[in-house]
Amino acid sequence: MPIDRSVVRARIENAAEYVGPLWPLNTFNAANPLQGFEDQPFDRAVQKAGQLFGGRGYPGPQVFRQAWENGEIDADVLTRHLAEHGITERPEVLLGRMDADAAGHDATPADQPLDRVLTKWLSAFLDQGQAAWPMPNREDGFYAAWRTVAPYDGEIPGVDRPSDLPDTLVEAFEAVLESYPEARWEPIFVHHLTALPGWTGFIKWRSRRADTAWQEAHPITLTQYLAVRLTLADRMGSAIAPDRTEDLPTNGTDRPALPRIWLRAWEESYRTRLLDDLRQAPSSAPETDRPDAQLVFCIDTRSEVIRRHIEQQGPYETHGYAGFFGVPMQHQAYGTGERVKSCPPIVDPKHRVVERPVESHRAQADRYDWWAQLERAGTTLLATLKKNIAAAFGFVEGSGGFFGAAMAARTLLPSGLFRLAERLDERLPGPEAFCAPTVDRAPAIDADTEDGLPVGISNEAKVLYAEAAFRLMGWTDTFAPIVVFTGHGSQTPNNPYKASLDCGACAGNPGGPNARVLAAICNEDAVRAALRERGIDIPEDTVFLAGQHNTTTDEITLFVDDDNPPVAPKALGRLRRDLQSAQADAATERVRTLNTTVDEGRPAAAVRETERRAADWAETRPEWGLAGNAAFIVGPRELTRGLDLEGRCFLHSYDWTADEDGTALETIMTGPLVVGEWINTQYYFSTVDNAAYGSGSKVTQNVVGKLGVVQGNGGDLMSGLPLQSLKADDERVCHRPLRLLALIQAPTDRVEAILDRHAALAHLFDHEWMHLTVMDPAQDPAFVRYRPGGGWRPQPAAKASTATEVRASAGAP
Amino acid sequence: MSDDTTPKDTRHSLHPLKKIEIIVRGEKEPFVKDLLDDSTVSGYTIHHNVTGRGEHGFHEGRLLFNDRDGLVMFFAVGQQEAIQTIVDGLTPLFEKSSGVMFVSDTHVVRLDKFLQEE
Repeated sequence: MPIDRSVVRARIENAAEYVGPLWPLNTFNAANPLQGFEDQPFDRAVQKAGQLFGGRGYPGPQVFRQAWENGEIDADVLTRHLAEHGITERPEVLLGRMDADAAGHDATPADQPLDRVLTKWLSAFLDQGQAAWPMPNREDGFYAAWRTVAPYDGEIPGVDRPSDLPDTLVEAFEAVLESYPEARWEPIFVHHLTALPGWTGFIKWRSRRADTAWQEAHPITLTQYLAVRLTLADRMGSAIAPDRTEDLPTNGTDRPALPRIWLRAWEESYRTRLLDDLRQAPSSAPETDRPDAQLVFCIDTRSEVIRRHIEQQGPYETHGYAGFFGVPMQHQAYGTGERVKSCPPIVDPKHRVVERPVESHRAQADRYDWWAQLERAGTTLLATLKKNIAAAFGFVEGSGGFFGAAMAARTLLPSGLFRLAERLDERLPGPEAFCAPTVDRAPAIDADTEDGLPVGISNEAKVLYAEAAFRLMGWTDTFAPIVVFTGHGSQTPNNPYKASLDCGACAGNPGGPNARVLAAICNEDAVRAALRERGIDIPEDTVFLAGQHNTTTDEITLFVDDDNPPVAPKALGRLRRDLQSAQADAATERVRTLNTTVDEGRPAAAVRETERRAADWAETRPEWGLAGNAAFIVGPRELTRGLDLEGRCFLHSYDWTADEDGTALETIMTGPLVVGEWINTQYYFSTVDNAAYGSGSKVTQNVVGKLGVVQGNGGDLMSGLPLQSLKADDERVCHRPLRLLALIQAPTDRVEAILDRHAALAHLFDHEWMHLTVMDPAQDPAFVRYRPGGGWRPQPAAKASTATEVRASAGAP
Repeated sequence: MSDDTTPKDTRHSLHPLKKIEIIVRGEKEPFVKDLLDDSTVSGYTIHHNVTGRGEHGFHEGRLLFNDRDGLVMFFAVGQQEAIQTIVDGLTPLFEKSSGVMFVSDTHVVRLDKFLQEE
């Protein structure tokens, strides 16, 4: 039966909606694993996803019990929510019932020979440089390459030569689908795509958005995947079509489930407390007219902790802005040909920024080059010796002692290694000490327009990015003598999930390069003149610096040329000292949550502990990342200054009085807030069902093909976050799975107008993928909550507030 | 003095063809592009960041920090059979995804530009 190729493709496109894209490890991007369900209400979506992936959609009873026992769920609120559904039993009884309901949920899936064979070939085909002996014929595409090697796979019955298998994709589909009407195709495709959601998610990412060199060299699509899978299923006697009962998920019932009620009560408890805290925030009047320095941090929840401690050091002001600093760029570090995207997943890079040595530091660059070349030669030699069959045995014999000693040092003396690395860095500074980003557009003759991306940034774009930064933050006057744009990155060796700890707004890379670019732009006279014409008057004596916040140790490095400092050395020295003090305070606060035995009274010990984690190759939890994230606050810092938000809030600076047409708010709500929702849903689902939506324990993970991890020696590619990033131990979670609360200080009608213009954004609130509360400066009570489907509900103050006592710290309760 | 140029020399004949206009969410752009690439239409035009109201509400166009959410509009002109293939490929898509397509009669002057070489 001839089939229409375009119809098959359309059916596959529809079926693929159920699979969320999965980014490779090196550009790990937080994304909602249920992204394909976001056009449906949350409760229905998790039910449907549960049918397809077998994953839980709400926190388990153990998580609720922990929250209940720690007082995170208000008894009054819970009782009211339960009563609305006619439930009157005591919470403890209900927890017991949820325990009983959950029993048997975590059944281990049966071994599927089809999955086993397919994942073997997927990992061989998709390998991105890990295999010493790559799969042949990959340039022909997945189906053709697999067809030529399938006869050698003993697990595939009845295939002696490639011609035993269909020649083309269309023939492959025809052979399998001929006995099914078109109406059955989509459920068949959904069944086979969701059988391995990790691998199919990765293929979806690679074939649709990525345009990577790997995809160009070794093309693969979901159509090819399905052609191979259906052919294999046919040959191996596996079911082609799912049982009728497993057809496309139905709408299910709307029976109120206990976990759903508990989750809402927990979310309301958190919201009420946060709003009460904001109502009673300590006086935030600035102590001076002009602060000594202003530091701009990423909106990342980890910035809240360090910002709070910096502000406590003296006349400092901090702001929050998306960590790519509004510069949509691709970055090429010095000494590498690798170009990495350095902007959020929903933004395409528009410029390439290349790090090049500055002439005055040529000697430093030459010295660095010499050592780097030596290191590269050594690495190449080592790789050759390890992989060469003849040399490998002798190499192990000869070098075992050295590597054994190195291993022992890494294992037993990680802190010593950290200090050694610091000293080496002082002796041989890295490229950030002698390079500058190519901010200026190169002359046309040198312009590198490969990939269509120009090197450098045009003057118009520079002004646009600088103005956007200040307008979005609502910061158009009062500039300190020093303004620091501070990106962030983590420090963690031997960690496939490093990208998940780096800046999400920079596509899982450290944000320092973007900070340097915006600082360089803002220091240009022409840019300042243009800004002045637009009403942003930056004083002549203001100097913009760039820095990077090490989120593992809380150290803040300023990218300053100390031989020729752009600001007075005394002021710079004071700032550095205060940043060090803030580091000690922040590290002390965070270390309490990390299951350590460090003496809490000694900040130096806390810093040392974080440094050990930053250097220890056996450390599974270098830091908590964004665990705990629960709210996204859009408003001026005065709203939250002085409050301990426990590192649980994204903070985006915004001033509603400086944004009459709502453009800035629209940009924040359609950009950073959406990315916040992606991060939040990833943490949520990774926590509520780590087996289905997370990636299990790091201890038993293996990296495959330099692109993802599997548990043990094979199976599906794991998506989401590892257990150690979410749970304090086997029993207790650190990340409290709550849907993101967007809290915006602006007139309600302005927010409403934005929702009216952006159906996709409004759906996220209407379908309760996140919640929205507006702090309307013109209304009393000031807080109004958005009702899914439209309309607003006043949010009065709670009877008993917890706001007066600033809680001590975040972390695992 | 008589004019040698007759009206016949300046008038061009028009050839009937079909035109398809497609509006989909930005994330469906690769799918529609592949469909058009695989069809026998000789080319197509894409408008990014299209603004408008549909069944699911309003979709604003260009955004500063989001290149994903907008709508994309395609249009292509070709012979009846070529346009039908595109319609066949899009019909199942619109069962699940939001989007619209319009097919209408149109005329072109340079017919050879719209016929793909075999």
